[in-house]
Amino acid sequence: MIRKLLIANRGEIAVRIIRACREMGIETVAVYSEADRDSLHTQLADEAVCIGPGPSAESYLNMERIMSATMISGADAVHPGFGFLSENARFAKLCEKCHVTFVGPSSKVIRNLGNKQIARNTMAAAGVPVIPGTDGPVYDVKTGIKEARKIGYPVIIKAALGGGGKGMRTAHTPEEFERAFLTAQKEAKGAFADETMYIEHFVEHPRHIEFQILADNTGHVIHLGERDCSIQRNHQKMIEESPSVALSEDLRKKMGKAAVKAAKAAHYVNAGTIEFLLEKNEKFFFMEMNTRIQVEHPVTEWVTGVDLVKEQIRIASGLPLGISQRDVRIKGHAIECRINAENPEKNFRPSPGTITGLHLPGGKGVRVDTALYNGCQVPPYYDSMLAKLIVYGVDRKEALCTMKSALGETIIDGVDTNVDYQFEILNNPDYQEGNIDIEFLNTHVIAGVKINDV
Amino acid sequence: MMFNHVFKKTATERQDNSSDVRPEVPDGILKRCNACKSAVFVEDVRKNHNVCPHCHNYFRMNAHSRLRMIVDKDSFTEWDMGITSNNPLNFKNYPEKLESLKEKTGLDEAVMTGTAKIHGIPVALGVCDGRFMMASMGEVVGEKITRAVERATNEQLPVILVACSGGARMQEGIVSLMQMAKTAAALKRHSDAGLLYISILTDPTTGGVTASFAMLGDIILAEPGALIGFAGPRVIEQTIGQKLPKGFQRSEFLMEHGFIDQIVERGKMRETLYQILMLHQRKDTQEIFGETVESYADHDEDLSSVEMDAWEHVKLARDKSRPSGKDYISLLFSDFIELHGDRDFGDDPAVVGGIASFQGIPVTVITQEKGCGTKDTIYRKFGMVSPEGYHKSMRLMKQAEKFGRPVILFVDTPGAFCGIEAEERGEGEAIARNIYELSGLKVPVLSIVIGEGGSGGALAFAVADEVWMMEHAVYSVLSPEGFASILWKDGKRAKEAAQVMKLTSYDLKNLGIIEHIIGEKKPLTRENIPDTAKKLESYIMKFIHRYGQMNIDELVENRYQRFRQF
Repeated sequence: MIRKLLIANRGEIAVRIIRACREMGIETVAVYSEADRDSLHTQLADEAVCIGPGPSAESYLNMERIMSATMISGADAVHPGFGFLSENARFAKLCEKCHVTFVGPSSKVIRNLGNKQIARNTMAAAGVPVIPGTDGPVYDVKTGIKEARKIGYPVIIKAALGGGGKGMRTAHTPEEFERAFLTAQKEAKGAFADETMYIEHFVEHPRHIEFQILADNTGHVIHLGERDCSIQRNHQKMIEESPSVALSEDLRKKMGKAAVKAAKAAHYVNAGTIEFLLEKNEKFFFMEMNTRIQVEHPVTEWVTGVDLVKEQIRIASGLPLGISQRDVRIKGHAIECRINAENPEKNFRPSPGTITGLHLPGGKGVRVDTALYNGCQVPPYYDSMLAKLIVYGVDRKEALCTMKSALGETIIDGVDTNVDYQFEILNNPDYQEGNIDIEFLNTHVIAGVKINDV
Repeated sequence: MMFNHVFKKTATERQDNSSDVRPEVPDGILKRCNACKSAVFVEDVRKNHNVCPHCHNYFRMNAHSRLRMIVDKDSFTEWDMGITSNNPLNFKNYPEKLESLKEKTGLDEAVMTGTAKIHGIPVALGVCDGRFMMASMGEVVGEKITRAVERATNEQLPVILVACSGGARMQEGIVSLMQMAKTAAALKRHSDAGLLYISILTDPTTGGVTASFAMLGDIILAEPGALIGFAGPRVIEQTIGQKLPKGFQRSEFLMEHGFIDQIVERGKMRETLYQILMLHQRKDTQEIFGETVESYADHDEDLSSVEMDAWEHVKLARDKSRPSGKDYISLLFSDFIELHGDRDFGDDPAVVGGIASFQGIPVTVITQEKGCGTKDTIYRKFGMVSPEGYHKSMRLMKQAEKFGRPVILFVDTPGAFCGIEAEERGEGEAIARNIYELSGLKVPVLSIVIGEGGSGGALAFAVADEVWMMEHAVYSVLSPEGFASILWKDGKRAKEAAQVMKLTSYDLKNLGIIEHIIGEKKPLTRENIPDTAKKLESYIMKFIHRYGQMNIDELVENRYQRFRQF
């Protein structure tokens, strides 16, 4: 069993991990940058080691310093949290070389799943549905039309060297295809002097559905149901919930099975997440696998009763899973809102500063994961997430009411926040109906703000 | 509010983990950077040419890594292996020390010499290895370098020496001192044979090595931040009883003081060497242009032919938006390598010079540089050249003569730098020396007045086979302001002075001072210069063609007569 764990992270996730360790009787070592000297995680851990100046590259991303801190403190394991070094195969490899337990999968698994092409091929070979597309490049319309028919409309035509939407067109019918292909190709030629095109099935207005999985060293893999993370701004999730209203029991089983299959195909060990795009017609496609604990893990914890961080630590210590798929029951409904230090009216500009007044909600069915305290600093160097507000209800309706009530009593003074913006999302009739997809914030005006897709 | 140990610590049950493998960092994964003191991955450092990825400090490199970094794979053949010191002073324990170092480093002395290729170009080269007695120069180091240089002279190869040394080898006493003379003499013969020597200075290059082969390169390159000096900093501090300033004796300091042509990062060393070697491949102008000698019209058909007051010309010549010498260099030449310093006192930013390729022909190009934008203009002292600027240009011209390269000069100066320091260092002598040497330089020389041609300061760049002017450039004995104040005791009558001085390109063409006017349809700016540059390019091509084929005596005689007529 892990005896002393170094948390290579900061903010609320560092606090979350430290708390799990305190409950498990594991000693904790925090690392902190000069900007985080007075941060909660620094204070709450049993020991703390300063690893450099504020900018991440010189502290939380500096593997050499984190490894030195591990050696100095005598920790025998490292938990990377999310972000920073959590999906860095080189860091995982360094831990392996130094006989330090890395709480997460092996470096090889991280490397393979981090490579889009390898991940896609692995999944396709294992029979996990991936977005259909051409295997090789396409240069002319005729071949293109043939390929598009095979793939199934609508399709998206992409320039091999494309970026920023240039050389990219969608087509819904064979009639539309010819023009779209030629336009995209012409654009690509102009912008990148290259006419190599790829064609892929275009997943229209999908939901973002992800499955939480747990896998131990004995090859035992289970899933803990799904999370619907469709409310996103520029691929940044804002609200997550479990279960998703879009999944019937049948579909859940089907997707869950695919998720387990995916994890097994990747020889995955520890907690991980399989992300899918779900179409309205219930077709789903593998997008990627995240090899870390996710920000939104608490909603799964609440509806399943499983403590994911503790499970991570147990698995990393070499223990087998304590539960089987049959033991997993989804009960009730949980929603998480991410509270960020940002100004929605000013294009969500980050708003660092000092917290001058703080009131956080509580009561039955309310959980707040945060590193905030009255008077603390929000440094400008890091992600702007201040807190995660998670609520639970017997059903979605109750959870929604609890969330609105909780948001309504959240007071964070000193910095701008998105609390009011989140409140307005909850007031939106489409959201309340569960009528959402990943374009939701681009297609609805919330609190007078419409997100322009970049 | 700050929490100060208010939280209860974790209650842990001590477990017996003695059977587990204790975490530890295996050897060879991390090392400490001696500059920023942080731990760095050995692998990262190796991939980064032994430069710290955090603070860009240069770790010292052994000879083998250095060879890998600069020469083509598997192209190195070592010369003169297995020479050992005779221990000339019978120094106690010295042979034993050498033996143990040979065993430890796998080297047989502190320098490796041989031949290799850089992107296919063969060179002779010597690389010092600091692991072997700090690469101090004893009889073996001196002998190996001398033999390599001699062989290079015989085989007509360029020489590259990578220096890194503590200086003379004390254990070999006076015999060590003689190595300085021996290596320098061999390099002199190599140079007299018209061959190229590139010296690369790395950390540290001191003592007898600095005072011999290291400082004798036609081109001297240095790695950033290398300690380079004759006396070591500790010795100097003890002698003068003062603390030395930060950066003293570092590459950057030496460059500022005129002793280094360029500081080159490791990652760019191979390409830089290749570029220099390319520019020293001898080329026959006939081979490039064929045999026909085309002549060009005296007058440019593109003259703006707008009636313009002389003062208007002066104003245009001084205009801030007018292209400066560097603009001409970047438009007309490729592969320009700027060479800095006068090898004596400093590096004058008012002169920019170096070697470049003109349509495949290596040339030396030097300009008086006014700069672009306020900051740069101040840095370049408004194009007013100091003695070290003239000395630098002279050094580059003599180098061009050695390698048979045509010299192209751009004139753009209000006048030579006026000040106490300039006089102390002999501004007059510097200008005189330029005029004197240019008059007999054994390669074609072309001078183009692109803006202001102010007085002697301009003439020091304009003793040439032909002198051309851009249409709105001016060239005069003195600035109109100066002229008016000397003659009429009233500097404000500059406009009037400009009329009578005959300083426009038209006037000077009529007086036979210049050969050729390059038309400016519209007054030149940094934006509209490309078209004019194209035209200029074709004229220069014809110039090089015509004069490149001329017999040297005829060339020099023509130049003599050109100025003899006035």
